[in-house]
Amino acid sequence: MNIAAHPVAPEEIMVFLDGELSAAEAQAVSAHIEGCADCAKIVEQSRSTSQALARWNVEAIPVKLEKSIADSMTKAGSRLDLGKPNLFIRSSFWNWKQWAVAGGGAVATLLCVIAISVSTLQRSPQATMDERVAHDGAQQSVRDNLGAGTIGKLEVPRKLTNTDKHSIPSMGVQLTRGYSNAPAPQASPSVINGQPTTDQLSNNAPMIARTVSLSIVVKDFTASRSLLDSVLARHHGYFAQLNINTPENAGRSLQASLRIPAPELSSALADLRNLGRVDNESQSGEEVTQQHTDLLARLKTSRETEERFRAILAQRTGKLADVLQVEEEIARVRGDIERMEAEQKDLEHRVNFATVELQLTEEYRAQLNPPAASVSTRIYNAFVKGYHDASETVLGIVLFFAENGPTLLTWVAILALPAILVWRRYRKALATL
Amino acid sequence: MSDAVGNPDKVSSATDEQLMVAFARGSTEAFSELFARYKQPVFGFFRRRLADPEQAEELTQETFLAILRASSRYEPRALFRTYLYAIGLKILRAHRRKTAFRATFLGAKDKVREPASPSTADTELFLRQAVAKLERVDREILLLREFEQLSYAEIAELLRLPINTVRSRLFRARMALRDLLTARVPKLTAGELTQSEESV
Repeated sequence: MNIAAHPVAPEEIMVFLDGELSAAEAQAVSAHIEGCADCAKIVEQSRSTSQALARWNVEAIPVKLEKSIADSMTKAGSRLDLGKPNLFIRSSFWNWKQWAVAGGGAVATLLCVIAISVSTLQRSPQATMDERVAHDGAQQSVRDNLGAGTIGKLEVPRKLTNTDKHSIPSMGVQLTRGYSNAPAPQASPSVINGQPTTDQLSNNAPMIARTVSLSIVVKDFTASRSLLDSVLARHHGYFAQLNINTPENAGRSLQASLRIPAPELSSALADLRNLGRVDNESQSGEEVTQQHTDLLARLKTSRETEERFRAILAQRTGKLADVLQVEEEIARVRGDIERMEAEQKDLEHRVNFATVELQLTEEYRAQLNPPAASVSTRIYNAFVKGYHDASETVLGIVLFFAENGPTLLTWVAILALPAILVWRRYRKALATL
Repeated sequence: MSDAVGNPDKVSSATDEQLMVAFARGSTEAFSELFARYKQPVFGFFRRRLADPEQAEELTQETFLAILRASSRYEPRALFRTYLYAIGLKILRAHRRKTAFRATFLGAKDKVREPASPSTADTELFLRQAVAKLERVDREILLLREFEQLSYAEIAELLRLPINTVRSRLFRARMALRDLLTARVPKLTAGELTQSEESV
């Protein structure tokens, strides 16, 4: 059809026949159709199509269905429960937008959970390691060298030094709360300035590296802190490590690693217990006698070897290569000797100075009118915290995908083809309905 | 508004929207009138779109139950007819998804009951097959226009399409159907068609 000759498009004629044109437009189209055979033919064809469709009659609604709906109407009128609608065909649900929102929400929630889990897992490997070491320590057979009456109830110590890395069996005894510790075996009084005397070694007295873990709750943190200093000074001990936390809206806490001369351990512990209420106490001792003896023997042998090499170097003559080889051997043996000497000193130091892992926790008393931070500071802190949280979340997501991305991609690649096939089959089935 | 339909004599003259508001306020007569007006159109709506008459009955019932359940929340912002067919369309789409899902994963196919009258089957099958060959949206627009007698604006609102799209797609559907019917007529002779139609 020539558009120039027919200013009315065929589609316009259809709209006219459907009565969807304005009065003016309908009048113009009608006038055109009257004078145009082609357009009249289109009208005829459109009408015949509609008439053909009009022959498509359906049967009358079944009586049983009418009755069923009438019953439901009566129930609704009486405010009776009509039952729950079929979830699949609930009229106000399950369009694609709601599917998208629900699916997106579910994915976002899943990602958040994963991100939080990943960041938590990243923070805790050290704690896990500590717990594992403590657990392994508790698994060791307990050999009580602490004297009679020391066993109350065996528990897994919350904190233990990493003593189980040595081959020598360690001893672990934990005293339950309120247990009065029996006198610990005294290190030889002949220990002077951390050095064992020949008496201790020659008398075959057991060499025990003592470790005590003490958790105390105090009322006056400041006073306890001062008392702790005085206790250390009185017993010639020192801080190997000290860490004090002053959190907001919570009690202060102190974590310290104390080194106390072994002979004074019992009295020092008695003084420390007086600082407050003992919440937890555990003691362990690692016998290092055999280790020390072996070390001394190896040290002696190495020194003798060194002497022989030096004698060879001084008395014999030979090729330059032989001389250099002897000097290399001397250097190697010297290195071994120095390492063993350091190990010996460390071992003896551990025997002579017991380690006390102390935790002081203040009983927190909430303040009636706590000094609140200024509004600007709180807003700033909130922003900083929010920034850190957001960074951690993003980092967690990135780490998750970095760690699990290849696996996920593998699964996607494996499942993609079946999923595409199923989806196509579903679309095909949908298209035929 | 409910006063307009409070008198049984006025029920039949009230608009659909007035009847629905009256039913929301407790008038069962109002819903009876609505049901009488739309029971056959709604059943026809589903019957022409589904081959299985039992499924058409189920979805018809489900549609009226949905209207009953949602009556307390009804607000006459649009024509009741549009509201009714919107619910019908959603129910139909959900049914199709469910059926496609079953066919995909369970291999279940819907049973098609044979119509009672062979002559009805001829006409129905002839037109149903022709309409089924149309593109999906075009087919829906055509059916809504031809059988539900919805205006272009109502169809556009129901299908969430621009009104010009409805126009062009409707024209395209009619032209395609005309070609299909023209092509199919020689296979089903005019005499057979006339005979079958006369027996209906």
